[in-house]
Amino acid sequence: MTTVLVVDDEFGVAELFDAILTDEGYQVLTAINGRHGLELLAQKQPDLMFLDYMMPVMDGAAMLRAMAADPALPSIPVVMMSSMPEAMVAERCSGYVTFLRKPFKIAQVIDLAERLLGSGDRSTF
Amino acid sequence: MSQDSDGSMKRVQTGIAGLDTILGGGFLMGGLYIVQGTPGTGKTTLANQICFHQAAEGGRTLYVTLLAEYHARMMQHMGGMSFFNAALVPDQVNYLSAFGTLRQDGLSGLLALLRREIIARKATILILDGFATAQRSAGDAQGFDEFAHELQGVAIATDCTMFLLSSTKSVKDTPEYTIVDGIVELSDELFGWSAESALQVIKLRGSAHLRGKHAFRITRDGLAVYPRIEALLANPSRSDEGGIEKVSSGVNQLDIMLGGGLPVASTTMIMGPSGVGKTTLGLQFLSRCSQAEPGLLFGFYETPTRILAKTDGVCPPMRRLIEAGDVEVLWQPPTDGLLDAYGQRLLEAVHRRGVRRLFIDGLGAFRTAASDPTRMGHFLTALMNELRVLGVTTVYTIEVADIIGPTIRAPIDELSSVAENLVLLRFIEIRSHLYRLISVLKVRDSDFDPTLHCYATTSQGLDIEANPESAETIMAGFGRWPAGVTAPDNGPALLPRLGG
Repeated sequence: MTTVLVVDDEFGVAELFDAILTDEGYQVLTAINGRHGLELLAQKQPDLMFLDYMMPVMDGAAMLRAMAADPALPSIPVVMMSSMPEAMVAERCSGYVTFLRKPFKIAQVIDLAERLLGSGDRSTF
Repeated sequence: MSQDSDGSMKRVQTGIAGLDTILGGGFLMGGLYIVQGTPGTGKTTLANQICFHQAAEGGRTLYVTLLAEYHARMMQHMGGMSFFNAALVPDQVNYLSAFGTLRQDGLSGLLALLRREIIARKATILILDGFATAQRSAGDAQGFDEFAHELQGVAIATDCTMFLLSSTKSVKDTPEYTIVDGIVELSDELFGWSAESALQVIKLRGSAHLRGKHAFRITRDGLAVYPRIEALLANPSRSDEGGIEKVSSGVNQLDIMLGGGLPVASTTMIMGPSGVGKTTLGLQFLSRCSQAEPGLLFGFYETPTRILAKTDGVCPPMRRLIEAGDVEVLWQPPTDGLLDAYGQRLLEAVHRRGVRRLFIDGLGAFRTAASDPTRMGHFLTALMNELRVLGVTTVYTIEVADIIGPTIRAPIDELSSVAENLVLLRFIEIRSHLYRLISVLKVRDSDFDPTLHCYATTSQGLDIEANPESAETIMAGFGRWPAGVTAPDNGPALLPRLGG
């Protein structure tokens, strides 16, 4: 089953992702900060990750760095998310494939998931 | 809480001048404060404004939300504010959500997260938005007491000043009221069809503050807070020098009637109906301004352009004085204004140029701006006392309702406190002709000529008859010829230089 990991400290955002992507047939895991996200990554390899930029404990940039530094962790496409402009986020972190500016629309999330995972991937479950 | 070298506790300024004044210089560093108010009253804007001000000063601020506005939406709203600086995000202004932690690990988890983030980020300011969510999750009062108490301990140990934003009211018997160092309440109150925002410091531990409510408005620059003038100036900023000198009213004959002019640094009310020449007299008062004696026209009803046009018609010297900068014209539309904003603007203008002659054209606009009319007496007394100690000779106009008639109703109750000198202008109607009379009713510490004088308005301003006999014929709005004089058919024509 195609799995998406959503790492976002805003409970409502993570819940919304869960609802949208579950409806689209993906399995969704959620984490409330980067450290929590790394713990989930170590347990299960998702196919795609939506990662928030500003979070407590470990932010998105720090999580990307930790992923890059640990060869044991899977290499997966990451969508970085922030209410800040991408240019400002890009100055501080690298390793993500695309950027989603908040606030976003539901259609953008579905479109990104389909584009990065391929529309047929979900049929594998 | 940290102390300065002089032993006083260090302050954290909000960057909002009026609020810092109300707080006696700012919040105390390392203090724990509640900012409360119903939704939409401005708590989020205030909190962001404090964050960005402190960040601009080199501080590091954490804006932590529970069940509150989404960060993306908040930043959309704040992005339009002049204080918002995206370059300070996230290093110096960091937005975090802690609701997931609260939901998962309860208050102890929330406390651990806040403590960790404050220490890791060396935060100097913490905003906890959605404080009521934490209260609700406590389950019982004891649990919440412990949370607030421990949070205060973190504040003290780290010098991080904390603001808990709450949409519910803290009352005196609640635990948080006792624990926190201060409570600021924002409210939105309706007066008829108008709304006025008010800020009140309900509690402030360890610091004197201006009590009571203070008006504020939210603009693109954030909150602008106006300390209540009568609270701010309860004691004038300096001692009253007194003084017996006189300054010219701008009209030689009126100076004679006043016993030599207006006492310096006194307040003079020009009272009369619309169109009688009050503004003209005020302009003549300002026409004696100079570089050494700067003047200010603080008006409501006539724009600077109209004032200039008017001066050309009734007081030609004024244009040159305005253009030379010896007289400043400050105009504010009288609609939807805030009383204390007017007062603050006036005092700022006086201080900025060292104004010595002030003409307020239309004191009634202050009354219109007063949401609570019972404030007027105290407001004007405080304002006039301050102008007095600043050495400003003030003349202001006030309109009476009755255009013609024997009755004069004082438009302000506390006349003695706001009008040391009183000049009355009146219309008198006799046989289909309108005439004007001027009289001095009161002058501070001085003899004066109490008789009625006729006057005309000319291209050079008010032209007052030196001889009061012409006015002798008119008493209380009804014609009366002097004893022994038989009124001819064309009686009014006998009166010297009436009309105009």
